[in-house]
Amino acid sequence: MIKLQHVNKYFYRGEPREVHALRDISLIIEDGEFTLFSGASGCGKTTLLNAIGALDTINSGEIYLDNKEISSLNEEARTQLRLNELGFVFQAYNLVPVLNVEENIGFIMRLRGLSEKEIKERVLEVASMLEIDNKLGSLPNALSGGQQQRVAVARAVAAKPKIILADEPTANLDSKNAKALMDMMRELNEREGVSILFASHDAYILESVRRVIKMNDGAIVDG
Amino acid sequence: MFQLALKNILFYRGRSITTAVLTFVSTMLFIIFVSIQDGSHKSMLENSLKIYTGAIEIYHKEYRDTGGNEYLIEDVKTITDKLSEIEDIEAFAGRYETYGLLSSREHSAASMISGIDPAKERVLSSLKEARREGEFLSENSGNCLYMGAELVKKLHLKMGDEVAFVGSASDNSFAADILKLCGVFKTGLFEFDGSTSFINRSYFDSLMSAQNRASYITIKLKNMDDAQRVNSEILKLLNDDALESLTWKTLMKTLVEAMEVDSIFGYISLSLFFVVIFFVIMIYGFVNVSSRIREFGVLRCIGLSGANIFRLLFYEIFVLSSLAVVLATPIAGFLCYYFQLHPIVIEGMAEMYRDYGVVSDAIPLNFDIFTILWNLGVIYILNFLSIVYPYFYINSFKPIEASRHV
Repeated sequence: MIKLQHVNKYFYRGEPREVHALRDISLIIEDGEFTLFSGASGCGKTTLLNAIGALDTINSGEIYLDNKEISSLNEEARTQLRLNELGFVFQAYNLVPVLNVEENIGFIMRLRGLSEKEIKERVLEVASMLEIDNKLGSLPNALSGGQQQRVAVARAVAAKPKIILADEPTANLDSKNAKALMDMMRELNEREGVSILFASHDAYILESVRRVIKMNDGAIVDG
Repeated sequence: MFQLALKNILFYRGRSITTAVLTFVSTMLFIIFVSIQDGSHKSMLENSLKIYTGAIEIYHKEYRDTGGNEYLIEDVKTITDKLSEIEDIEAFAGRYETYGLLSSREHSAASMISGIDPAKERVLSSLKEARREGEFLSENSGNCLYMGAELVKKLHLKMGDEVAFVGSASDNSFAADILKLCGVFKTGLFEFDGSTSFINRSYFDSLMSAQNRASYITIKLKNMDDAQRVNSEILKLLNDDALESLTWKTLMKTLVEAMEVDSIFGYISLSLFFVVIFFVIMIYGFVNVSSRIREFGVLRCIGLSGANIFRLLFYEIFVLSSLAVVLATPIAGFLCYYFQLHPIVIEGMAEMYRDYGVVSDAIPLNFDIFTILWNLGVIYILNFLSIVYPYFYINSFKPIEASRHV
């Protein structure tokens, strides 16, 4: 479970507290949710996702992950948290260019120190689920955008995180690939029980999720 | 991490090749430069020792500081008999030195006059090779003087001219004789050439009442590197508290210090070269790291720690440095070894720089495994240092900022 209490975030651009990016956000996200943060560009949905994902700091308030306060952790502890508890899918795929598909999917598991046998089995399982098992030896630059995003999802899912945070995962995909990706992520959510949080204004995602949290000017307005 | 580092090296080929080539070139230059510097010093020392000073010399303890006839070595034969037992000694001879006044028809000058055994000196020193005019001394040269070129100038002498000598004999009696200029030498050591004359030992012993006495005994070794060990052996054999046996390091203290100063300046010049190489590698690495900020950002976002990022950069530079070092070291080592055996000869160099003490046309390199190893250590340290700034630069970004870096 994720719990946010009175979270505020400011961006300083010359003048102090010039941009109030998150305004007193309080929120509970239960395990296994398939949730979207939606809203216009600049409304704070990505900032909120980054705060939940321990990728960015907040200025006040608390964020709890399974009753453990995470917003006050130091960088090393946040890195460990991201490695062991969270999965990320980025808009620009962000695969490691020098690693092939199999190595990219298994990368986080290797960092966690899992055995090669476990990694191989899990990589094959996830790759076949996401229909990229015929591309395991390819480098990212040899894949289409849709395939790369599936690899990114596979990388996030394979290590069995508690939560996957996906920031605009369909933004660089055509409608066919976007729909296919959302179908797969929904299946993963149902099959693996992993919570998936999106930040997007994509209609395909809006149609697919079970909960929509609408944001405007850094505050939650609905959901 | 190591595998990822290897893949990065192969993926970013241009960067890898450039870094390896820069390290290769600096390793080669460093090893060869240090080898030339050490070789030149060794050669300078050998030449200096060869001219007159031995690798080891035996003195009465007070002779070097106080001087005088009271502190001459007595019973030289007993000592030289003992020295004959040491295998590592190539040659030795007792020398009797004294200061006296030399006068030509119109000029006078103080001179150190040394009684030497011409046959032994041919092996012990390069005095014969330093001859510029006339003849070197022989067993039958009697009152012939073999005089430094600068001293000849001072006295306005020509070959065959007579020179009056006045001095104090070893028993402190008055000694005087008419000597004859038979040979002129020039070593390039200005002070030495301007104040020293040599004369046949047996003739001089009679004149100075110095039979079986010596100012010191000079010793030439088969291998100069054994000086310290042989010196200990000599001290043990002498077993005489009144005598001291000194190696070239003490005898040539000024030269050793000059070489140390020269080394320091050599290393300063070299360090300037290394600063350039270091910054080239660091800036090149920095530019490459800058182009990979996004990649590092993503890695940190998904859970790669700062320590792992450092490890990744470390492995990359370690592999590239090792590759360069493995290629450069045998080549540089072979060149040093080859030119140690076959020194580079620049015809006329000794003639051109004779006044500066250069006595050989050869520039030898010095091959020494230990020196090469510390050279390699320096190369590794510089390369490792070159990743420190890029590492801190990467860490100056928040992971999410870095993952969006363009």
